[in-house]
Amino acid sequence: MGILENAFEENVLTTKVDWLLNWARLNSIWPMTFGLACCAIEMMAVGAAHHDIDRFGAGAFRATPRQADLMIVAGTVNFKMGERVKRLYDQMPSPKYVIAMGACATGGGPYFKYGYTVMKGVDRIVPVDVYIAGCPPRPEALLEGLMKLQDKIRRTAVIRKPAVTA
Amino acid sequence: MEFQAIVDRLRALNAPGIVEVDEPRAPDKETKDKGRSGRPFVMIEPASLVDILHLCRDDERLQMEVLIDITASDPAVDDANLWILVELLSVKHRHRLALKALLPKANPVLPSATAIYRAAQWHERECAEMYGVTFEGHPDPRNILLPDDWVGHPMRKDYEFPTEYHGISCE
Repeated sequence: MGILENAFEENVLTTKVDWLLNWARLNSIWPMTFGLACCAIEMMAVGAAHHDIDRFGAGAFRATPRQADLMIVAGTVNFKMGERVKRLYDQMPSPKYVIAMGACATGGGPYFKYGYTVMKGVDRIVPVDVYIAGCPPRPEALLEGLMKLQDKIRRTAVIRKPAVTA
Repeated sequence: MEFQAIVDRLRALNAPGIVEVDEPRAPDKETKDKGRSGRPFVMIEPASLVDILHLCRDDERLQMEVLIDITASDPAVDDANLWILVELLSVKHRHRLALKALLPKANPVLPSATAIYRAAQWHERECAEMYGVTFEGHPDPRNILLPDDWVGHPMRKDYEFPTEYHGISCE
């Protein structure tokens, strides 16, 4: 921490505001309860004791978008549901993140060709941060997706303007 | 009751509109008959469906309390008819009956069975949106699965897939 480090008495820590904010954010990503299909079963498994998403601070599944930071779109999104997905995303407070879990939410999955009402990827209505492959993905894959999202949050800067690279 | 006994009972009750009784048969090489597998069914006139359902529910020998299914199928693009399938079950007598009817695609109108079996409501709504069958006298003829403003009937063989819905590309 540069020249300020160890400049005060023992119980004072010094850090950067950005680092502190990101640290708080990425360790308390509260997801929204959002199961649409079989991927939701894997998401529930991730929430349960064996895989325990709470180790990453993301175990507090909220039943309302207003308390959630992360929308894990776990399952097939059809057009009728797509309008609701968009509305729920709009109701989430910023900063908000979206994980497209599984083949359906990523790009239509097995319904790509003949699924007449299936949306070919949830990124057509909401911006997606992390895509997870699999049909459905293993719980470990969802955990890795969450870690990828944490890496992304770690790189963001709230106070400091990102350096302009020539 | 066995299938034949049910048919005999229906005939004894003067059930209207029975066209034919179709039972599965083995293939025959001499007549080049491909045969038919599956379960036996009774072919009826679509207009007399409601009367037959009344008989099946109220007759004490038949007493089919449960409507399992009302659905349709579209055999081919160039076929002039839809097939209507109605499946009934008697829990008391432990027998089933399959009714089928040919409904012309040019005018697919069927009387609603909701007054006899309330379970028919959702089945008929699904059948209506998927195959374009109009059920006359249905109390709540909205779409049940598809969005309200959906165009076309997806389970028809000549259905054309939409290219976009509310500005979202379907390609």
